[in-house]
Amino acid sequence: MSERKTGVYLCSGCGIGEAVPMAALEGVARTEYKLEPKTHACLCGDEGVEMIRADIAAGVNQVVVAACSARVMTDRFAFEPVLTLRADLREKVIWSHPAGDEDTAALAEDSLRMALAAAPKVKFPEPWIEGDYSQRIAVLGGGVTGLNAAREAAALGHDVLLIERSDRLGGRARDASLRLPHRPPYDKPEANHIEDLVAAVTAEPRIVVRLGATVTRTGGMPGKFAVTLSDGSVEDVGAIVIATGWRPYDAGKLGHLGYGVPGVVTNVQFEAMLKAGAPKAASGKPVKSVAFVQCAGSRDPEHLPYCSSTCCATSLKQALELLQADPAANCYVLYEELRTPGVAEELYRAAQRAGVIFIKGKVKGVDADLTVHVADALVQQDVPLKGLDMVVLATGMVPNSTDPDAAPVEYGADLLKGDVDPEAAIKVAGFCGEAPAAPERRAQAVPPGGPLLNLQYRQGPHLPVLHDGFADSHYICFPYETRRTGIYTCGPVRRPMDWAEAEEDAQGAVLKAVQAVRAAAAGSALHPRVGDLSFPKIGLNQCTKCRRCTVECPFGAIDEDEKEYPQVNPTRCRRCGTCMGACPVRTISFDNYSVEYLTTQIKAVKIPDEFSGKPRILVIACENDAVPALDQAGIKRNSWSAHVRVLPVRCLGSVSLLCISDALSVGYDGVMLMGCKPGDDYQCHFVKGSAMAAERLSKVGETLKSMMLEPERVVQVDASIADADRLPGVIDGFVEQIMGIGFNPFKGF
Amino acid sequence: MSKTLSYYPGCSSQATGVHLDKSLRAVLGKVGIECREIEDWNCCGASVGHICAGHVPVAALSGRNLAQARAAGPEDVMTPCAACYLNTHATNEAIRDNPGVAADVNEALGAAGKSYDGSLLVRHACEVLVNDVGVAAIQAQVTRPLAGLKVAGWVGCQTVRPFADTERGGKWTTYDDPAFLDDFTRAAGAEPVPFTGKTRCCGGSVAVISPDKTLHLMKDILDEAKAAGAEVISTPCPLCQTNLEMYQPAVNERFGTDFNIPVVFYSQLLAVAMGLDASADAGLDQHLITPEPVLSRAK
Amino acid sequence: MSHVPTPTQTYDLSFARWVYGHVDGGDRLALCMQCGTCSGSCPLGPQMDFGPRKLFMMIRAGLKDQVLGSNTIWNCVSCYNCVVRCPRQVPVKHILQSLATVAVREGYPGARETDNARFAKAFWWSAAKYGRTDERLVTAKFYFSYGLSKGYRKSMANLAIAKGMVKARRMHLGLPHKCKNAGELKLILARAAEIEARHGDAS
Repeated sequence: MSERKTGVYLCSGCGIGEAVPMAALEGVARTEYKLEPKTHACLCGDEGVEMIRADIAAGVNQVVVAACSARVMTDRFAFEPVLTLRADLREKVIWSHPAGDEDTAALAEDSLRMALAAAPKVKFPEPWIEGDYSQRIAVLGGGVTGLNAAREAAALGHDVLLIERSDRLGGRARDASLRLPHRPPYDKPEANHIEDLVAAVTAEPRIVVRLGATVTRTGGMPGKFAVTLSDGSVEDVGAIVIATGWRPYDAGKLGHLGYGVPGVVTNVQFEAMLKAGAPKAASGKPVKSVAFVQCAGSRDPEHLPYCSSTCCATSLKQALELLQADPAANCYVLYEELRTPGVAEELYRAAQRAGVIFIKGKVKGVDADLTVHVADALVQQDVPLKGLDMVVLATGMVPNSTDPDAAPVEYGADLLKGDVDPEAAIKVAGFCGEAPAAPERRAQAVPPGGPLLNLQYRQGPHLPVLHDGFADSHYICFPYETRRTGIYTCGPVRRPMDWAEAEEDAQGAVLKAVQAVRAAAAGSALHPRVGDLSFPKIGLNQCTKCRRCTVECPFGAIDEDEKEYPQVNPTRCRRCGTCMGACPVRTISFDNYSVEYLTTQIKAVKIPDEFSGKPRILVIACENDAVPALDQAGIKRNSWSAHVRVLPVRCLGSVSLLCISDALSVGYDGVMLMGCKPGDDYQCHFVKGSAMAAERLSKVGETLKSMMLEPERVVQVDASIADADRLPGVIDGFVEQIMGIGFNPFKGF
Repeated sequence: MSKTLSYYPGCSSQATGVHLDKSLRAVLGKVGIECREIEDWNCCGASVGHICAGHVPVAALSGRNLAQARAAGPEDVMTPCAACYLNTHATNEAIRDNPGVAADVNEALGAAGKSYDGSLLVRHACEVLVNDVGVAAIQAQVTRPLAGLKVAGWVGCQTVRPFADTERGGKWTTYDDPAFLDDFTRAAGAEPVPFTGKTRCCGGSVAVISPDKTLHLMKDILDEAKAAGAEVISTPCPLCQTNLEMYQPAVNERFGTDFNIPVVFYSQLLAVAMGLDASADAGLDQHLITPEPVLSRAK
Repeated sequence: MSHVPTPTQTYDLSFARWVYGHVDGGDRLALCMQCGTCSGSCPLGPQMDFGPRKLFMMIRAGLKDQVLGSNTIWNCVSCYNCVVRCPRQVPVKHILQSLATVAVREGYPGARETDNARFAKAFWWSAAKYGRTDERLVTAKFYFSYGLSKGYRKSMANLAIAKGMVKARRMHLGLPHKCKNAGELKLILARAAEIEARHGDAS
């Protein structure tokens, strides 16, 4: 970069000029940072923007805009490739604090100082673009979901590699009779038509189908995946959509519901009978009296703890198919809670109308003559259900998150060099005291079977799964995500769902895959930092090979080279900075984001001495939810203590403990980390970032005690996007608590 | 305004609800509604007729009334009695909507050379007062407002359920919180007290058959009215009025209470407020618990 | 009325299907989803052997004798709370009262002897004979349906009320009110009874 020439622009519009003295702000730039500022009454207007553009034409190569929040007017203040830093004077200053107040003025000045101090520490990022990128999308699984995904991807102009384990396309739908209703009025089973879908996919020239194939190895990164198939061929793809579907829960474990007794079948078996024609009883006659037992092995802590959401509707469909053939048939649905979400309610009503009898109660046993004993909760007595000629167990869906036919590969196998457990508690260097026990986690067991993709990632061959075996994902904001960038799940492998939902799911996942291949080729990040061109750079001369970055990366983006130095796979990276926060020697940084960038801002704030009676509190706020919530609080004119300075960060995971120790040593009286909820039901946009922050923070207490500081001075709080009304009170409560403890004795040290 | 309607007074108009019929006719006269009584009307079957007779004979009862009304003209049929309204309206709608019922009823009517085509609309008198006359026009006739009189407006069941909120029922009020009775109270210059039990059931015919089963229902209504400070309870339903009035001694005996709250018809309050005669027009002298003292205090 | 089937085991659906097809409102009974809004809305729910919700499930379970022998079907006060509140538009009131009719016809022990059945008989007698109902005659007939001595006790117990009503000119002692053309009504009702019987036989 040539000589840095920073232009400073202050906006006095939106009431800023009336609320705080602009002359004092100008003075900060002029005297403290030796930069001549320009003030405009409407900086985001054409005139203001033209003024900045003219300066850039005249040689300014970095811009500091002190105006509104960095979250608004981003298109007006975009001067790429000139980097723009933003100082918020509006939402978190004059809209949330009283006008004409000296504390508000001090807050505005510090906001400007933080931007001006940070400016020399960052530059416009140069993207990582190297070699060839594939725009092709691999789809794993040729059932309903995979077929739809392949067709969607092809329709979007991408070549598709469709990999199917069996020797035919169509998946389970091939063995199914009719499908659940998916068109208004949603009240009757509809034709299956899977052959049409298979034919459409087969006829599409962009789709290459590989039947009888599994993936034995997947290396690389988005845009550059190398997928090895079971026949040894290697295919280049840019992104991977996993549509491996489901398998029924093992009915062999359902002896208590009569499985094993002749005439007791699973819903999958019954479906095949319906497809083959009228289901026959053991006597050889068409079945006349059928009991459908819901939640067979579902919502049961001994079996599948979750609801598969489709079994109830499927039983209704099967009963209706039976009644269509024989209106005098007796169909009983034995349920504990019937679940017919959304339009499936119409099917429920149709089944009632057709005369299906719904009996609420637990099944206590099934006799050899197919008498089902039910604790009937509605007539409040135990009743025997006699004269049945078939009992259908509505078994749930087990996600094919693994390949049930392949040998299991566990973490710690040779491949992994045996020493990294991504779920283990992490020791934090540089701080004394024993690491506390790892927080209690629900079982994270990988379901039986081998890894689907056999990922050649340092963190292991599997997609990380949640406790129930479904791929870990930020379910609320990024549903198709897995914790491996560029790899997306859809259909029942993601969560239990029916055919119509799987169709939609396939579309969603394909759109994410398309984004992934296109962003990878442009060197750009995916959400939530869409368009960010920065990527982590590791100063290997300082690296101690501690592997903390490798382990903590929520997305497995960092591998190790043959000398065991960390090696970043940039297109796997989501730019959260968790590696940066983890690095004990602080040698990981981005062009536009670094530990120094943060600590410089922390230190730029003027700390009044204790005799002023004014504390300084640092709120390190996650820019995903906490910062927008605070902006929203400002928009709503909610107010909080003017003694607080807000430092936006990419993710709490990127906060190095150095930020906290620096803050305390320069005299801040308290530090609050404000970010997304960690834990099993996390809200962190980077999955693990806020959990890592909490983990690191749990070790800070001892350090603070050794510094003779109260551990209560540093806290982490959860914030959600909807917290605009709650957060001001949370902040003020913390300020009050700190004032109860007293001023930081290190002030002015 | 001036409007003529077919009028079906119902059996109670000649007995327990004679003061409803009397006072309503007086009030309707004041607001310009002329009642043309259905020629030689018969019982509607109330809520017990079908138990012995079944549905076709009960429908035939209303069928004859409707045939008589239709023969006199196409005007809407109005009735002040909740049960008469329910049965006649329901039968009329069934004749319109259900060809089987229409055929059955007409076959039965045919035995007397009559028939009915379902072309009428059966309406409750309160709905006519709300939708056709309007509360403002009622209030305009009030010359002696019952200032200060605290009234609990108790609608009961069948006046509003199940037809009040239906298209053909007039869409004139809700099932669970009907406002019209309090509006009538205000029009009479009196003060409605807050009363959540507006549509509580007194027990209906079961109260007549087996009072023991339903005394607690009446106690709940009386309790709330008393707690709300009501001096009088106003109702549109003849059976409600009779039940709640005649069983107060039984309620007192069973529960050790001392209720003695007059129960009147909304039309009696309106008649008095319109300056009509308290006895000859409003029938205030036809009560087991006389409302005259509290009403004269208000005047 | 056609033969009412008697189930041979629990959830033998013969009775339920008969009710669906023959009872007033029964066609919507299949849609009952057992939410219990009816039972919760019923003013006399606590006095019933069981609420309408459970009664409907018992119909499905084939518990015919318990259903037709229950006091539930005799305790409906026709308040229509259940009817307007049922999320599935099941006409609960119609079904209960229609089942009461069935219980009488099927000769269920006690059904004819219930207070309601006695009163209904007295009521219909008055309505059919005179074309109008007369409270004095109906109650007298009702009371004396219990026999002379019990009827006398019942009427004496209500003597105060009756006296009050007479005094208030809301009950009269002369000849009953009647239709002028009671004969015409008689013809109509006789034909209606034939139709009713015909329906019962056909179905």
